[in-house]
Amino acid sequence: MSMSTILTKVISRLIFLPTFVTAVAILVKGYFGAGDGFSAGVIAGTGVVIQFLAFGPRELFARYPSLRRAPLLAWSGLLLGLATAFAPVLWGDPIMTHYPRPGEEVPHLGLLAFHTAVLFDAAVFLLVFGMIVSVLGAIGNRYGSEGVDS
Amino acid sequence: MPEEFRVLAPLIVAALGTFAVATLGAVRPRLAPPLAVATAALALATTLLMPAGGRVDLAWAPTWDLRLTFAADGLAKLYALLATGVGLAVLTYAAGYMPRHAAHEGHPLSRTVRLYSLILLFMTAMLGLVLAQDLIVLIIFWDLTAITSYYLIGYEQEQEASRRAAMTALLVTGISAILLILAGVLLYTRFGTAQLPDILAQAQAGPFVTATGALIAIAALAKSAQVPMHFWLPQAMVAPTPVSSYLHSAAMVAAGVFLLGRVHPLLDLSPGLQNVLMALGFASMAIGGVLALAQMEIKRLLAYSTIAQYGYVVVMLSLGAVEGAAFYILAHALIKSALFMSAGAVTEATGETDLTRLGGLARSLPLLAVGSGLAAAGLAALPLTMGFFKDEVFFAAAAERGGVVPVLAVAGAVLSFAYTWRFWGNIFLGPLRNRVERIPWTLTLPVLALGVLVGLGGIVPGPAASLAADAGEAMAGRATPLQLAYHFDLRAPNLMAVITWVLGVVAILTAPRWATIPRAVARTGDRYGPDRGLFTAIIRLTTFSRRTRAFLEVRNLQWRIATVLVATAVLVGVTIVFAPPWPTFRVGRLPTSDWPLFLFLVLAALSALVATRSAGRLTLVLSLSAVGYSLAAVFTFIGAPDVALVALLIETMMTLLLLAVLGLLPIELARAPAEREPHPGRRRAVGFITTGFVFVICWGVLSWPAPDATMARAHLELSPAAHAADVVTAILADFRGLDTLGEITVIAVALLGALTFFASRRSA
Amino acid sequence: MILGLALVISILFGCGAFLLLKRDLIRMAGGVILISNAANLFIVAAGLSRGREPIYPLPPGERISDPVVQALVLTAIVIGFGTVAVLLGLIYRTYTARIARAVDQGEETEGTPVSMPPEDRVAD
Repeated sequence: MSMSTILTKVISRLIFLPTFVTAVAILVKGYFGAGDGFSAGVIAGTGVVIQFLAFGPRELFARYPSLRRAPLLAWSGLLLGLATAFAPVLWGDPIMTHYPRPGEEVPHLGLLAFHTAVLFDAAVFLLVFGMIVSVLGAIGNRYGSEGVDS
Repeated sequence: MPEEFRVLAPLIVAALGTFAVATLGAVRPRLAPPLAVATAALALATTLLMPAGGRVDLAWAPTWDLRLTFAADGLAKLYALLATGVGLAVLTYAAGYMPRHAAHEGHPLSRTVRLYSLILLFMTAMLGLVLAQDLIVLIIFWDLTAITSYYLIGYEQEQEASRRAAMTALLVTGISAILLILAGVLLYTRFGTAQLPDILAQAQAGPFVTATGALIAIAALAKSAQVPMHFWLPQAMVAPTPVSSYLHSAAMVAAGVFLLGRVHPLLDLSPGLQNVLMALGFASMAIGGVLALAQMEIKRLLAYSTIAQYGYVVVMLSLGAVEGAAFYILAHALIKSALFMSAGAVTEATGETDLTRLGGLARSLPLLAVGSGLAAAGLAALPLTMGFFKDEVFFAAAAERGGVVPVLAVAGAVLSFAYTWRFWGNIFLGPLRNRVERIPWTLTLPVLALGVLVGLGGIVPGPAASLAADAGEAMAGRATPLQLAYHFDLRAPNLMAVITWVLGVVAILTAPRWATIPRAVARTGDRYGPDRGLFTAIIRLTTFSRRTRAFLEVRNLQWRIATVLVATAVLVGVTIVFAPPWPTFRVGRLPTSDWPLFLFLVLAALSALVATRSAGRLTLVLSLSAVGYSLAAVFTFIGAPDVALVALLIETMMTLLLLAVLGLLPIELARAPAEREPHPGRRRAVGFITTGFVFVICWGVLSWPAPDATMARAHLELSPAAHAADVVTAILADFRGLDTLGEITVIAVALLGALTFFASRRSA
Repeated sequence: MILGLALVISILFGCGAFLLLKRDLIRMAGGVILISNAANLFIVAAGLSRGREPIYPLPPGERISDPVVQALVLTAIVIGFGTVAVLLGLIYRTYTARIARAVDQGEETEGTPVSMPPEDRVAD
């Protein structure tokens, strides 16, 4: 599964950051147009998977050993989601109350709305991103350890 | 808000302490004991500072009236003091006991950290349980105590006796916890609220209240090791002594009678139930007392004694003497904890656990003998100890009831007197029989401290009495004052006490005559008792289920699937015969704007058909991805851009995943020839049948006309108020955010599963 | 349109069931994928209205597609992916365990098809 031409490698490296930025953009604009945390997560995951395809798992793990900690991203996403949902209980509101409440102003930074629902979407993004990177990374790891190359 | 959270302070301290001990102890095991002791001390301090009558009320699902409520009423304060105070004593004891214990067993010190964090976790659970005012929180902490108890009893993981004891305890307390949950559900549906004060206010006498009361009582009795669910407690003595002296004298078994006290107004509405409880209490006193006289091992004797002593409490609660019961619990916790710790210290000093091989330790371990002696005097209800008053309130309640109850009360007290003497006399008096090693002061100090408290309580019973009176008030819902003092007159409790002592001394002096009776009872209990019953029941149930499965099981996976499909088809067919849906089917229009949609639908169907006929794996994967992409296009044309985006992306990821896993299977290459699969005809038939019934169902459902006012419209209209322009994202993150939370939990669990399967192999 | 949708859904489901009954485990996984696709399509088709996409500003006077079913299907698709990942992991492990067992017993492992073992000797 390794397309080991130099061109592929260069393009894959160049394309990672734009992919990630696209993913974040879709997450941000998700409240105003098509897109949401799920698709953003998968796009970001695709960016990482492209690296796997171009460089091969062994090399990628050697260069970025923190990839092995990808499940942490998923767990932190889950925790963030739980926190966003249950935090309002601490000050007496029911679960899953979003702030700013309906009728209030939402502060904006361009298209990014500072709204807890966007935070929740970000949690979903982390989870899906983490899941994809972890699963495909684990499979890639099996390639590295079994010495299979195809 | 700070005022309210002072109520929760002990709980938070204990929880943080658990976490701190677990994490820091993993790094530096020597830090664990002092940290645990400090946590317990802090928890005790915050308990003493709890505002009386403080309440915490957090509504987490207000439309269903589900609130987290905690309150520091008298009952909660009493139990919280017990949990933290005795916990402090036990943790100090453990600091000296565990290193020696680990050295004996040959374990590294780092393993003992688990004990400290588990004990603190148990303390947290206990505090949560007693502070809870609503059923849901109560049940959660109830189960948490059972789970922590399982891990603590099974602390010595390699020993089979530990594992078996832990499992027995979990089974007995866990199965009865289910009855508690059932009772909780029944009460919630009947009274519409999960808040205990409201339920108790609305309850009225009748079969419903009796039934739920019985369910709660069973759970409580199992937890407090009352007959017939008492047999798990003696087995649990395999646990290290700190565990026995905390859980199985003062905390966990006290939780059972705590529950009986919490719902006391409910139980009081059914006199029949109270009579049954009284009978069971007396039965526990009898069996516990008799079997304690037959035990050779010191800890098992104390275990049976605990069973008997909680029988006293159950009897008092059933008689309505709630403030007396609270006092009894307080006294017993101090006494029994001290006795258990002294038993452990004796074993540590001499290496012996058998009563017949111990003797004369009073000279070598004087402080221990004094502390243990004070506690034993309390257990035997001698004057100048708290124990005297504990029996006095018991006798007063029994005498008030009249009839045969006072006689039974005295009989039970005589047994306690006898076995207490057996315990303390055989260990500390008589000629010295053992080699005595030095034991650290941390083993003696808690025993001495608790013993002194027991003695002080006999001289100045005021503080303990007022604690018990507050607890009684919380249980009964009315003021229950408790005044304890020495009265030198001929009132009934004094008479009964004197009779008890006289008969007790007689029993001790004539001990060799009747010593065989308890042993015979013990042997009968082993052969026909409830423990054997549970064991047999489990074996029989397992055999039954194995035979049933062998009979019913369809072994072949494909046949199982085909059976499900064909059976569903038969059901649908039967429905069609009896209720023909032909009139309701609509064909629907196909406007020109819908032609691209239709085209992609056809493409999806064709790709699926190709997938079934694919010769090699690669063709399969490619045709499956064609199906996915076509469906993504369908979603676009059907007006669902978010879904189309996700479908497209996930389909790409799915193809990559399939190809990656295919690449991991090295032997069969992607282009291998199709294996000859048996029975192609049957498979095709089932495929056609499935297509048929799914077609009927789908056409029927899709033909229904859509209603006018729908949830969809509401969502569409509310979105601008939720500051969203994309309604689907608003639904996912806001309107149905809880659903999404559940769904990402599912994804996280799936991730765990996939990682487990693809992880690097450690052992085959 | 309704007839067309029902037809396609049932064809997808039927092909999925057909693949599910095959002995080759990868084809069985393919069957699971097809069935979940069919289910997702069914849910979207069962939406209460079909028209333009539900994103503000809404075009006035036109029908808008039902957003609720879209939200349901969106998560269903991602969960389906997770499920297939777990299933494939299980298949992978079944395969390697079987190969390990075959190697232990000295069997010939070249050209062995990846399929269910002949009888389900379910261990207790």
